[in-house]
Amino acid sequence: MIKAILVFNNHGKPRLSKFYQYFNEDMQQQIIKETFQLVSKRDDNVCNFLEGGSLIGGSDYKLIYRHYATLYFVFCVDSSESELGILDLIQVFVETLDKCFENVCELDLIFHVDKVHYILNELVMGGMVLETNMSEILTRIEEQNKLEKLEVSFLLSAVFDTSLGELNSG
Amino acid sequence: MPAVRGDGMRGLAVFISDIRNCKSKEAEIKRINKELANIRSKFKGDKTLDGYQKKKYVCKLLFIFLLGHDIDFGHMEAVNLLSSNKYSEKQIGYLFISVLVNTRSDLINLINQSIKNDLQSRNPIHVNLALQCIANIGSKEMAEVFGHDIPKLLVSGDTMDVVKQSAALCLLRLFRTSQEIIPGGEWTSRIIHLLNDQHMGVVTAATSLIDALVKKNPDEYKGCISLAVSRLSRIVTASYTDLQDYTYYFVPAPWLSVKLLRLLQNYPPPDDPGVRGRLIECLETILNKAQEPPKSKKVQHSNAKNAVLFEAISLIIHMDTEPNLLVRACNQLGQFLSNRETNLRYLALESMCLLATSEFSHDAVKKHQEVVILSMKMEKDVSVRQQAVDLLYAMCDKTNAEEIVQEMLNYLETADYSIREEMVLKVAILAEKYATDYTWYVDVILNLIRIAGDYVSEEVWYRVIQIVINRDDVQGYAAKTVFEALQAPACHENMVKVGGYILGEFGNLIAGDQRSSPSVQFQLLHSKYHLCSPMTRALLLSTYIKFVNLFPEIKTQIQEVFKQHSNLRSADAELQQRASEYLQLSIIASHDMLATVLEEMPVFPERESSILAVLKKKKPGRVPENEIREHKSPVPGSTANHQEERSAAKTVSANASTDLLGLSTPPAAPTAGNTGVLVDMLGELYTSGSPQPHANNVAAQNAYNPAKFVCKNNGVLFENDLIQIGVKSEFRQNLGRITLFYGNKTSTALQNFSAAVTNPTGCIGKLNVQSKKVDPTVEAGAQVQQMVNGECVFDYPDAPSLTVTFTCNGTPQKLSLRLPLTVNKFFEPTEMTGEVFFARWKNLSGNEQRSQKIFKATQPMDNTAIRTKLIGFGMQLLDGIDPNPENFVCAGIVHTSKQQIGCLLRLEPNKQAQVSDLLQCRCFFILLRVNVCETLSGTGH
Repeated sequence: MIKAILVFNNHGKPRLSKFYQYFNEDMQQQIIKETFQLVSKRDDNVCNFLEGGSLIGGSDYKLIYRHYATLYFVFCVDSSESELGILDLIQVFVETLDKCFENVCELDLIFHVDKVHYILNELVMGGMVLETNMSEILTRIEEQNKLEKLEVSFLLSAVFDTSLGELNSG
Repeated sequence: MPAVRGDGMRGLAVFISDIRNCKSKEAEIKRINKELANIRSKFKGDKTLDGYQKKKYVCKLLFIFLLGHDIDFGHMEAVNLLSSNKYSEKQIGYLFISVLVNTRSDLINLINQSIKNDLQSRNPIHVNLALQCIANIGSKEMAEVFGHDIPKLLVSGDTMDVVKQSAALCLLRLFRTSQEIIPGGEWTSRIIHLLNDQHMGVVTAATSLIDALVKKNPDEYKGCISLAVSRLSRIVTASYTDLQDYTYYFVPAPWLSVKLLRLLQNYPPPDDPGVRGRLIECLETILNKAQEPPKSKKVQHSNAKNAVLFEAISLIIHMDTEPNLLVRACNQLGQFLSNRETNLRYLALESMCLLATSEFSHDAVKKHQEVVILSMKMEKDVSVRQQAVDLLYAMCDKTNAEEIVQEMLNYLETADYSIREEMVLKVAILAEKYATDYTWYVDVILNLIRIAGDYVSEEVWYRVIQIVINRDDVQGYAAKTVFEALQAPACHENMVKVGGYILGEFGNLIAGDQRSSPSVQFQLLHSKYHLCSPMTRALLLSTYIKFVNLFPEIKTQIQEVFKQHSNLRSADAELQQRASEYLQLSIIASHDMLATVLEEMPVFPERESSILAVLKKKKPGRVPENEIREHKSPVPGSTANHQEERSAAKTVSANASTDLLGLSTPPAAPTAGNTGVLVDMLGELYTSGSPQPHANNVAAQNAYNPAKFVCKNNGVLFENDLIQIGVKSEFRQNLGRITLFYGNKTSTALQNFSAAVTNPTGCIGKLNVQSKKVDPTVEAGAQVQQMVNGECVFDYPDAPSLTVTFTCNGTPQKLSLRLPLTVNKFFEPTEMTGEVFFARWKNLSGNEQRSQKIFKATQPMDNTAIRTKLIGFGMQLLDGIDPNPENFVCAGIVHTSKQQIGCLLRLEPNKQAQVSDLLQCRCFFILLRVNVCETLSGTGH
């Protein structure tokens, strides 16, 4: 099971944190800090799996991470997950973000943290892999965007209607 | 391309930019507090906030929360958004309550109501939002409210695939919270058949769900084996174009394959020959594919392919029935050991650890020994080096032990600090396990101390002492070797401890040599004394008194040292006391007496190495067994349980031996090993050889007999499969101190641990008890202590009760015990002549001063046993003053804070009838009399 998904930058600033097991706020922050300390001191060409996190799950606990430019993507998992499988899942997540944001960068994650959550929700649910097929995921995001656009145009027409009404009454 | 960027909320963007521009943490906090105040007032005051504004503020709160600030409001506004008819508002509402889970009950009801509405929506996107929310919060209430709808959603023919997928994982989440949510019966088959679903996404999610269900109830879900195998077979044999979008970088459905292979690891190899043949075919195909040239140079391709391969190898190892496959797997992993990819080397080492424990592949693994040793030495990455160490440990056997241990010792000198302690444990275990020549073992351990002394835990050096004591063929060698090691100008304190102990026991074996004459040995040890911690000094003092016995010729020299340290110059009270007591002992005791008291340590009972227990405790579940498995028995499910039991049993026995030397007991008695024996010996001499000290521990197992503790202060108060409660008490005048030791015998932590001492109402004001709090968690195999202080204010009727509660594996446990703090504990034995005794006895002959009880002896009459009990009871046994020699008379004073109460007692065994004893107690205080009668007769005598 995936216990948590953390994204932070090279300075340890959190950009996304999603916990699939309950931890209180303090603990969440401690986990982010500890994970950053463990991951950031490692060279880039070492392996992507790491034990030694002490805050979640004790010994049955691994960090699987990838480092992209300024961001670390870390999946905290237990031994029921395949290491390489998760590594590829991170890649799917990042590729999906890249497609959705058209060349994703750290700023996108900062300014659209809600969207990032929605995309993640299509990949992972309750700590388990939900969908791995990128085109399927993109379709679902697209459908949600359509719903949203619908309401924007609805909103615009509402504004339009009211201004018309104002014009008429005026 | 779904561009999600674009619909900016300007206020949000400005706020985020502001934060990012903050130059200092203080400025950031200031800006955030300003924003929080703003949002709070908007939420409170402005009733006309529209959905868009609410959404904007909720987004801001989420951002602030991500930065690590607590958010304690906004939940209500978020809940309001849930029922918005605008999708984006609804969505952000769900996001907020998923991230900031709040279990306030008034909110939960509202949330559940919104979820209920959305679950019934015709729009699958809304249904999924609701399912995601349930999966995120997954509370017990939700399991109750939705436990009905979600299974229906999962198997209904009308449900769209997207929703089915989510419903499967949502159900899994709720199942984790409350296991009874899964309906049985026909549902089982319907859930299993999801493995046949057209949609690969549904199958992936369903496999996760079934995997969890199988773990709980393997028999009920057995049907999934054949379905999983045929599904797997279809994927494995598919070409990468068949599965279209579920092909990832030319690998067909890698995630689903991995999940199916995992699922099958819950069962023994399939019984049905057809299914079994098909499975083996799949596994062979996967191994074959590994040899094919890659279809892409992208790392994603190799990752996906190897993810499946490693999982297939895990399954082969798990089945442990196909020698051919096992050897192929081993060769494949061997190739990976020298792969360019660090990840693959890491995983190959990890998998090989498992292979090493199979009797079929153990030898195949050993062929890679050199590469593995190189990995341990040369890998850049400490994670990989750690795996290499684990593998060396797992592949070690009689034939290669010396080489592997030597390589590990060499590496230890430069090893990372983070893995040293574990390596030390591993080396110690291997050396012990495969030692044919125990001089080699002694050398290895002393080398360990020399190279990595700081990382050598107590258990390691206790163990070497245990082994030396148990094997007389190595004792002389050990003495000689430690003597040599101690001559190094700087040697580790652990070396001094081992050296001190071994020379104290076996120094005589090398004393014949002039270079290691008694005086030289003593001088050598004493030259280290001043550099050591109090605990080691205490141990050395014990060694010195043993020297007095072994080498009478240096007695005066040693007495001089005792004298020096028996006064204020020894800052440590324990050392002072020890020095003075040893000094007195050396002066007063005759040579024979000394020889008895300081006799060579008896042989330790053979048990599993305590070091192994430490290693297991450090890394439960992850430590590779250094033990070749027997052929697997095809009993479904039971193997896992069995192994667990076995390891639990191991931990227990090992725990018992951890304390063998008793050195880890409270600081008051650091070398209790010696003093303990001393006291026991004296005790035995005193009570003329009662079978008390060791037998008691054994007898107490699995039994709880509070009566026994009336007459004794230390021992195991209670023990069952989960916990051992030991007690150690000291009494002085009207004060008592009881130390309780709670030992967790299981392999999981005991949660919510509490131990409460309650004074019975009758004792309030008469007995004061105070107990310290204990840590709420007792780790697996660990022991925690609790101090209880008692003050006897006045004669009190009953002992306080001790209620121990904890949760083990989710099951709450409660134990109700009596604290061994009966009033007799405050007795001071009083000597008096027969004249005085009977004068007082007669003075107390009125009915108000006399209690009498006739009771049946529960055991056959045995004068020695009766004497032991009476002495343990705390009064002075007055011999030879009663005209009838069969009778026992005792006198004692109970110290209370208010006054001292004298008490006389006479026990008249009725030997002829063998049925009843007459116990008479005389004292001014009725309560005490009755109490003494009751408690003493309760013990059987």
